[in-house]
Order: sequence, then C-alpha cells, then structure tokens
Amino acid sequence: MSIPPRIKVHKTLSTHVLVIGSGGSGVRAAIEASMHGSCILVSKAVIGKGGCTVMAEGGYNAVLHPDDSIAIHYEDTMRGGGYLNDPALVEALVTDSPKRIADLVDWGATFDVLEDEARQFSKSGSGTSERSEYIPIRQRSFGGQSFPRTCYAGDRTGHEIISTLLARLAATCTVQINELDIIALLHNKDGDRVIGAAGLDIEGRLILISADAVVLATGGGCRIYNISTNSAGGTGDGYALAFRAGCDLIDMEQVQFHPTGAVTPWDARGRLVTEAVRGEGGVLLNTQGERFMERYDPKRMELSTRDQVARAIATEVKEGRGTDNGGVYLNVSHLPAEIIEARLPVMLEQFLLFDIDIRKEPMEVAPTAHHIMGGVRITPHGETTIPGLFACGEVTGGVHGANRLGGNALADTLVFGKRAGERAGMEPKQNTEISEAQVNAFIDHLMEYYTNTEEVSSARDALRVVMWDHVGIFRTREQLLIARKELERLAQVKVHAKTPQELIDCCTFSNMCLVGRLIVESALTREESRGAHTRVDIKTLWSDSESPYGHTVIRAEWDVSIEYKEREAEEREAGSKEAENKAESKAENKNTGGMS
Amino acid sequence: MSKMAITPHVLLHVKQPIYVRVRRYNPDNEQTYIEQFTVHVYPGARVINVLQAIKDQDSTFMFRMSCEAGQCGSCAVHVNGSPVLACVWPASDGDLIEPLNLPVIRDLMVDLVDGIAKIPKIQSSASICQQECQDVCHEKTLSPLHLVPSFAETKEIKELAACLNCLCCVSACPAVKVVDFAGPTAMRGYMRIALDPREARDRIQDAVADGLFSCTTCQSCWTVCPKHIKTPGKAIEKLRAIASDHDLTLPRHREILHLIERTGRSVDSSEKLFLDLVDEVIEPYGEVKGEVVFFVGCMFNARLPDTALDMVEVMRHNGIRLIIPKEQVCCGSPLIRTGQRSPLLSLMQQNMQALSKPGIATVMTMCAGCGSTLKHDYEDLDLPFVVKDVCEVMTEFDIKPDKKLNISATYHDPCHLFGGQEISKEPRVLLSAAVERFIDMPAQCCGSGGGVKAGQPDEANALGELRREMIRETGADIVVTVCPFCEYHLADHSDKPVKNLLTIYRTLLES
Repeated sequence: MSIPPRIKVHKTLSTHVLVIGSGGSGVRAAIEASMHGSCILVSKAVIGKGGCTVMAEGGYNAVLHPDDSIAIHYEDTMRGGGYLNDPALVEALVTDSPKRIADLVDWGATFDVLEDEARQFSKSGSGTSERSEYIPIRQRSFGGQSFPRTCYAGDRTGHEIISTLLARLAATCTVQINELDIIALLHNKDGDRVIGAAGLDIEGRLILISADAVVLATGGGCRIYNISTNSAGGTGDGYALAFRAGCDLIDMEQVQFHPTGAVTPWDARGRLVTEAVRGEGGVLLNTQGERFMERYDPKRMELSTRDQVARAIATEVKEGRGTDNGGVYLNVSHLPAEIIEARLPVMLEQFLLFDIDIRKEPMEVAPTAHHIMGGVRITPHGETTIPGLFACGEVTGGVHGANRLGGNALADTLVFGKRAGERAGMEPKQNTEISEAQVNAFIDHLMEYYTNTEEVSSARDALRVVMWDHVGIFRTREQLLIARKELERLAQVKVHAKTPQELIDCCTFSNMCLVGRLIVESALTREESRGAHTRVDIKTLWSDSESPYGHTVIRAEWDVSIEYKEREAEEREAGSKEAENKAESKAENKNTGGMS
Repeated sequence: MSKMAITPHVLLHVKQPIYVRVRRYNPDNEQTYIEQFTVHVYPGARVINVLQAIKDQDSTFMFRMSCEAGQCGSCAVHVNGSPVLACVWPASDGDLIEPLNLPVIRDLMVDLVDGIAKIPKIQSSASICQQECQDVCHEKTLSPLHLVPSFAETKEIKELAACLNCLCCVSACPAVKVVDFAGPTAMRGYMRIALDPREARDRIQDAVADGLFSCTTCQSCWTVCPKHIKTPGKAIEKLRAIASDHDLTLPRHREILHLIERTGRSVDSSEKLFLDLVDEVIEPYGEVKGEVVFFVGCMFNARLPDTALDMVEVMRHNGIRLIIPKEQVCCGSPLIRTGQRSPLLSLMQQNMQALSKPGIATVMTMCAGCGSTLKHDYEDLDLPFVVKDVCEVMTEFDIKPDKKLNISATYHDPCHLFGGQEISKEPRVLLSAAVERFIDMPAQCCGSGGGVKAGQPDEANALGELRREMIRETGADIVVTVCPFCEYHLADHSDKPVKNLLTIYRTLLES
C-alpha cells in the first residue's frame, strides 16, 4: 500500500476558550466559559454520547437535607479518600455541590423527587427571591457516607444530568465540534503557555484550534485495563496531553476498582453494576452463602468504601470462595420487585438481556477498573501548573484522594466544571500565534505511523492485560517492575496506520502506553498501602490519617517524587469549617510550595 | 440461592467462529457493497463484539461505539432489517448488519448529529434568564424551586426522559421517508417539555411545524426503541390533544369530530350499513362451539360491509355464534389518534354498555384500529369482557380451511395489529393454511393510519406507493391483510388484488 501524501493542516480555528471533552465537566465548563466570550467545545465522540457521565448510574452527592451538613460531607470524603485528598478541593466540592444541583434543577433536570406532601420549600414561606436550601430530591445511601445524600434519577442519573447540561449548552453561543480527537496541546513560542490544541477528525484531517484558554475535561483512562467500566473513549488522553505539555500530575497510582462489575458473558466483563444496588439493600455473598463483608467491615458492611469492598471480593475469590467465573454473588431478590423495577431499571434490563432476572436470582460480580483518582494537579479554580491550561473532572487529581466515594464524581464534574470554565473565561486575550515548527513536528510524527508495520489492535490488547495482571488491586514492587518493562517494550512497538482514519488509533495507543507508565511509576513511588493503592509487599505501619506521605507527583522527563504531609496544617484544615475562599487561599499557598 | 453459572468457566472464554454480512460504504469512491466476514467471538457476544472483531481484522472498517452498556445510544445499526443497539443485541450466525436509514458517512457510521439536533431541548425560564433574553423574562421570573415537577409530573416526565437519542425510531419511521417530519423522538421531546412546569415557552406550534400530524401512529418507533418509549400514545396523541386545545387541529380532522358528534360514527355512507343487514344474533350452521360479541367498527359498517359479511359466513360455518349489538358506536380511535378527546367518554360508555352481554366473555374485533383502541384506551373503564382480534378467535377455535387456493399470497401487517396488539404470527399461520404459497414481507405502514389519510392525503399516498413497491418485490399474486383501513387504502396502491383474510376464508368455503 502506498504511503498517503504528507498531512496538511485542514482547518485552523480560533476562540477565546477551548473546552476538550463533552462529559459532565466539559459541558459544564463550556456553559460557564461561554458567558465570557467565544467558546468551542470539542469531543472525540458525538457530543452527549462519549465519556462516562452518560453512563453514571447511581447518583450525585449533595447536602440538601436539613439534618445533613457540609462538614459531614467533607469528613466523609476525606476519610473515604484516606486523607490524601487536597482539603481545599474537597471544601470546594462539598460547598458547591448543592448549588450545582440547584442549577440543574433550574435548567430542567428531573431527578426522583419526594412526594408533594413531604416537601418543605423554605422555612419562611414560598418566597421566590430567597432560595430554599432544601431541594425536594430523593436521596439514597451510598458507600462510606454518614447520611443518605446521593441524589438520583432512577439508575440513569448521569444521563439525566448530561441531557440537561446539553439543553442548557444549546442556549449559549458555544460552537460544538463532534468527533474531533485532540492529539496534542499547542504551546506559545516561549513554550510556557498553552495556546490551543491540534486534533484529527474522523477522516484523519488535521485541525488546529487556538485559544486564550484551554480547559481539559477529557475524563478518565480505565480503558487501559482489560476489565473496565469505562466507555470506549476512556483511554486517558488528557493525562497524556497534560504530561507532554509539562503539567504536574498527582497520585496517578490511585486507581479505583469498582467492587461490582459484571462477570458474564465474557465480553461484558467489567460492565458496571451500580453501587445503588447495594444502596438499595443488596447483599454480597460468597459461594458458601456467607455475607462476607462481616469479616472486613462489620459496621458498614456492603456500604463500606469501594476500596475495601473491592479488596474483600478479590480476597474471597483468591481464597477459593468465589464462583467458577471468578466472582461473588450480589443479591437483591429479597427486595420487593416494584422497588427493583422503579429504582434499578437499567440493572434489571441489562441482566435480563443475559437471561438473569435480578428480581429472582443473584448477580455474579467482581471488581473492575472504574476511576482514576489521580490526575492533573489543579487549584480550586481548575488552574493547572501551566498557564493557559485548566482542567476539571476525572482528568484532575486531588479531589478524591486515595479513594472516591460513590456519588462524588458527578458532583466533581459539575463543581469543578463550573469553576474551571469560569476561570478560563476570565483569562485575558493572548497572543495565540501557532508555532509552525511545533505543527511540523507533529506532522512528522504522524507520518511515521504510515511507514510503521505493527498492528495497533494486538499491541493495545497486550497493554490492557499487562495493566490488569500487574497493576491491579494487589501490587508488589516486583510486579510493577514487570509492568514497567512490558510498557517500555509496548511503547516501542511501531504501530501502523493504513489510512488517515487510523491515525487516531495510533495516537490513542501511544496515550494509553503513557498513562500506564504514569500509573506504574507513581505506584512504585508510593511505598505504602493507602486507599485504593494496595502494596502487599510493604507493611504499612500507620493508618491513613497518620501517613507521613502526601501526593505523589510526576512531571515531564519522568521526574517522580512523593510529598510529605505537613500533618499539623492538614489536621487544622480537616477540622476547619471556615468559609471556602479562606480554605482555598491556604491550599493555593500550599500548592505553590509543593511545586517550586 | 447459589445459582451456578449456566456456562462452565472453561467454555466461557473459548472463541467461536461467526459469519456475518456487513453493508459498507466508502465515500472516497461512493461505493456501497456487502462484505462477508467470518470472525471469532466469545459465547454470548453482542453485535458490537462482532464489529470489534471485524475492525481487528480490517482496521479500515468504521463504526461507532462508546458505553457498550446500552446507555449512550452511539452504536445503533440495522440487524436483519431492524434497528437495534449493537451493544445489547445478541449476534447470530448469518446476521446482515447495515447502517441506520440516515445519511451514511462511512461504513456503519451515519450522521447522528443532524438527527439529534432535531430533538427539541427544554429551555427553562431560568436558563433563558441567564442568557439574558429580556423579552421572555418579562413573562416569567426565574424558576423558583417550587417549580420542581410534582411527584406525578416527575413520573410522567421520566417515562419520556429515558431516550438515548440513538435514532433507532427515526430509522424505523416510515413517515420521515416521505415527508418533512422531525421524527418520533423529536415529538417525544416536545411532549417531555410540555409536561415540565419549568419550560419557559409553549412549543406546540413548533411541534405542529415539525410534523406532529405526519405520524401515522404505526407503532414502529416504540417497537424498535431500546427503552420501549411508547411515543405514539405517550407523546403524539397527547401533543395532538394539546394542539386541539390551541385550535391547531387539521380541518379534515375537525370534520371527523363533527361527524362523530352528529352520528356517533366516523364514516358516513349512503349505501346500506352492515348493522342494518344483519340480525342481532347470528346462529352457526351446525353445533355451537363458542360465542362472541362482534364489534364491527365504522369502516366495516359503512365502507366495507361485504368483508364483514364474509367473516359472518366463516364464523357460521365454524360453529361460532355472533352477537351483534345494534347500539354500538365508533370506538373513538379516530378521536384519540387526532387528539380530539371531548366526546370520547360518552362513546366509550355507550360501547361498554352495548357490548357487555351476560355470560359472554369475548368481544371480537376485525378492525385492527378498533381492537387496539378497545384493548388499550378503555383500560380505565374496567371492561367486563376480553377483547380479541378475529385472528386470535380463529386461532383459538382452530379454524382452518380444508383446502388451499392455488395462488401465492403475501401478508400486509396492519400497524394496529402488529405494533398495537403485537399480533403478527397468527395471521401468517392462518394465511399459510389457505394458500398454496405464502411469501413473507416485512411490516411497514401503508399510510392509512393516525388520521394521515384524511389530514395529509399526499403523505398517505406516498407511503402507499412505497408499499406498492414492496408488494411488487414479493412477486405474490395477491396481498392479504386483516384491517379495513389498510384494505381500503392499499386497493389504490397495489398492482395486485388486496383481500381481507376473511374473504379468502370465505372463498374457500364456497369453492
């Protein structure tokens, strides 16, 4: 086959703010950024269909009920996160979350609501100027929470959120570009500011977009694992883009394995079985019929945090008390059929497709790679360590620490989507002249794929198995070193594109290799078990809250380090119920300290 | 409790070969072609897994996928002619996989963006205020939280909000092929908005402009919907009722309303009516095997009484006693389909009274529209009888001819039987028993339903012509159906004779 002619720039666009990614955080950021000037939202999928927000089932955590409190949500999130969370980010999360769900309700989101009689609009009557703090949304229990604060729309909560956000986005002047895969961030002549991005459309044509500010909202990357809940696009592109642009990334070793993924059939392995199943009263049983969570977390049982439940299930299976398919049972058949039909319709339907009626029989489940807690280091306003580049949503690190609570991710997307979008919108006009040399270097790089010879698909499959086998729930230095070696080898594989359309597959594979490396290097650096990161070769001598370690930090040239926690400051902030901006300024100081 | 896995562990991850055909399109040379693939997939594979396996074999192959869990609606394709989500539909050997009926970009990738753009989105007063459109804000202030939909409103909205924007319904909709119609899910969207107290504007005029009256209520949309959203009943008919309140009903539909108000019937005639030709009780020729109350419907009563008389003869020869109450009136279907509900309750009550005969459990219809209406729209009345289509009755009493007509015949599915009552097998079995050669034909609306024949005759004719082509392709000598609307309409849009199934059965009695 002949080599296609040298790639040319097909189109160059210019905008005030460029948002990359069309999940919850990207769309929320675009809504906000568009208030300040022109805005382009690009998605590698058809907007509304990509990302994981649309798949989020269980819910959105927000303090709404008068008996709940922001302080308790803060504490739950910190404790759940193994106190590795960035306190200022958590403060922002829990404080803003109720406001962001109020926006959604204003814009037409339809969550499950309380019966009309049970609603109390405001203590002072039905005044419209003063917003009641109590939105009449039904809330359910999720793992690791001291109060049922997870708002939901059946088990299609994320779908309702993204539909509403897109309705709101349609009222803005945002230009939406579908199916444009961003392959690199562009920097200015001095190399110290991000001024746009380059992407390939589905025909493989190169498109450049210059912008005064770029918001990275590319979501997670658990598709680098063989068994994962993520949508096909969850290949971690954002981590790779940010790393190459020179950003600091933190805590990349913290990968959440959701305890309950489907086990059969083979192709459906890893598909999410929502935590709402346990929230509604589902119980976990091993093949001996034991409710084994009694042995691991007798107080919280099935509603323990995800890291604990995932380890418990993996242990049961490892010790021979799992099913032939390598799972355990999750049972809701004791619940009334109407409850299952009304509150878990997607689950009911998905299992019925495979001839399993969850109203009558148990599901088989096992852990599945779900969420990367680590990511791009941000301030509470979504600023990364590189000027001109902002980030929000799963691509960022620090909000969830070492373990994310179920229901906090959707809250994260909206809280930080707004914050990053707003701050990006406020960026002043920049000189965004694109460097021809940088673009030419890309094109050279892309052209190499045409002359390479190796199949992408087999290299990609191999990568996923390496990550699952050696960088999974239980980790050792030895296994991580095997993974490092394998990933180095795979990164050298000369993957081949026959047509311009296949260039995207090659770029994606290269991102996946890089993200795998980021996780492995960080995992080697964190020599303790903390949250989702379990080092079985190291005896951890402290509880999460007493760990001397802070974030792992990884930046360009594979510069990896671990920060030490300033314990006193940490405790002070953990206990602090002070106003948000105060907490933010503290954290900003701290961040700068860590970066210099 | 400990349910063992159906498939042993060892077999679960042993790949099996599967053979499929895929319709591909290359925009570079504008070639469309069918390509055959044999790929290896695990047991329980969905269509999406087959497509991935093809991609691994031929990296130039293009299709869309994202969530792989039936939640994002990216991967809809046609499998053996019907739109499905590739990620939930089980793959079978021999499957024909094609793109949706939308403009194709490359292989199985179609233009979803244009289609999705036609779906209206809620514009709450709050979001409009934030966009600083002062003219609207004057009318309504920022939506306060007590505008959160009530518990009951939420329930109704949720039924319509689950749409994945996969466009399966648009791909299956016959009307979009012939007229400018935004499609079923756009109408679903309008109704979802209409139910919401937070929406700033009344959008009913937009719905009408987008083709509200183009829908023939053929039911294809919900039968292919992965979320089973019953758009015709839950959205189209309700929007038409709102349109009626806004005086936007089509003039021809208004005429039908006035006719029903005047005569209790939706069809008038100067000829003899069926009900005038028959006795109230018709005894069979031999032993009584069963008895049913017959609901005749306006079309058979006024327009096609001979066909109904064919049915009477078939029943008399097969031991079925017919009770035909003379007080029965229009079932109300034309009013429900066109959104004019005012005289509905009195019609329903009159029919219930007329049809309730002590000791008789079955009311039989032979009009698909009447049958579907009596089965679904009379639910609140708590009917003291069960409604069955004539095909169900014939199947139940094992009515079969003792010989076959020496012709080939195809069968046209009436929408309100196929989708409305989910009856498609019985008439095929009955017809196969009556003709030498039965040739199957996929279901597609002929254009006579949903008030379209009266309201938008050009569209009805265009759909009829599409059907003419499909009938012609079967090569059958005749086309057989069991609905008077289809029978009447298809007569103008078929090169071959159009007969009711009961007419065929009666012919066999006499030959």
